[in-house]
Amino acid sequence: MENFIAGLVSQLDNGVIDRRQFCEAVSVAAVVYAAGADAANAAPAQGFKPIAINHISYACGDYRKARDFYSSVFGMTPVPQADNGREARLMFGPPPGQGGSFLIPRNGNTTPRAKAVVDHICYTISNWDEAKIRTALKEKGLGDPTGRPGSLHVYDPFDYDVQIANAVEETAFRR
Amino acid sequence: MESFVANKVDEYRAGRISRRQLIETLTVAAATAYTAEGAKAAAADPTLKIALVNHISYTCPDFKQAADWYSRVFNLDQIGASKTDVALPFGKKGEKPYGVTANDVPLTHLIIRTRDLDARAQNGREARRQPRALINHIAYTIADWDSNRVRSELKRLGYANPEVDGPYSFHVVDVNGYDVQISGIGMTALAG
Repeated sequence: MENFIAGLVSQLDNGVIDRRQFCEAVSVAAVVYAAGADAANAAPAQGFKPIAINHISYACGDYRKARDFYSSVFGMTPVPQADNGREARLMFGPPPGQGGSFLIPRNGNTTPRAKAVVDHICYTISNWDEAKIRTALKEKGLGDPTGRPGSLHVYDPFDYDVQIANAVEETAFRR
Repeated sequence: MESFVANKVDEYRAGRISRRQLIETLTVAAATAYTAEGAKAAAADPTLKIALVNHISYTCPDFKQAADWYSRVFNLDQIGASKTDVALPFGKKGEKPYGVTANDVPLTHLIIRTRDLDARAQNGREARRQPRALINHIAYTIADWDSNRVRSELKRLGYANPEVDGPYSFHVVDVNGYDVQISGIGMTALAG
């Protein structure tokens, strides 16, 4: 890291990059550094190896409503500098660059163009406490969820199906 | 982070700190900035706090065809196939999700299905509401990002001219015309 930054300082001094490019490069380097070295050695011989959902692009009529819902109900963290009046970025999960994900609520067309549709997203909640979760959903104005214990469905402000679950009820290996 | 770096650059240019001090300060800041951010987020009320994507429910006319596409492109195993769906986890049984330390957070997986989303209410369940929102693409973080290697692999998979989206991403469409973004770990909410 130190050598990399020293190289950037030299480029800044020599006019190869400007102040803005320097600042951006250091910020990106910090994120990549945070990812650690192990991610760099895992590529398969063919195709790709997904290690996480990077982001979910969510189009709706008013991104602010979605932004406020997902941050206030599910604890996603808004990135203030990414909110441009048309879209926002909400972080969740591990830290950025270390397997973290983000939701992008954005104003946009909601008519599917593909033959496929992502009809719901299920999110894992750690330390699942059924009673507390049901109470919290009620307190947030979401009423009684559908589903079954350990795997609940609610609707967001745009009637998009949101599932929350624990590791016992929702895992690929339970099937 | 960027404003902090900008301030340090200004101090360096004004002669208030040396080149050595600039390099040392930025090295330490870059190595710790996002770890601190993660710790702060973790301190929020945990009752409904999302730990990770559990699964993505993807519905299409032919789930077997779509599952084969995702298996081929992303090296995903197909688990527990039924007549209408199959799961594709991001790893093997017993593995932990990348970056997760908790023991009660399972691997993210895709569930690829063929079903009628407009089916009427049955078995005591209410009919599904018609959403006024659309997940118009999903971006996947892949291991070992190298733009040239990714481009070359996409070409081998039949995508000669994938759409470039910044230094850490390409877009392609899957077998159903669904937008799939393939990203490096440098593509984050904060940069990329």
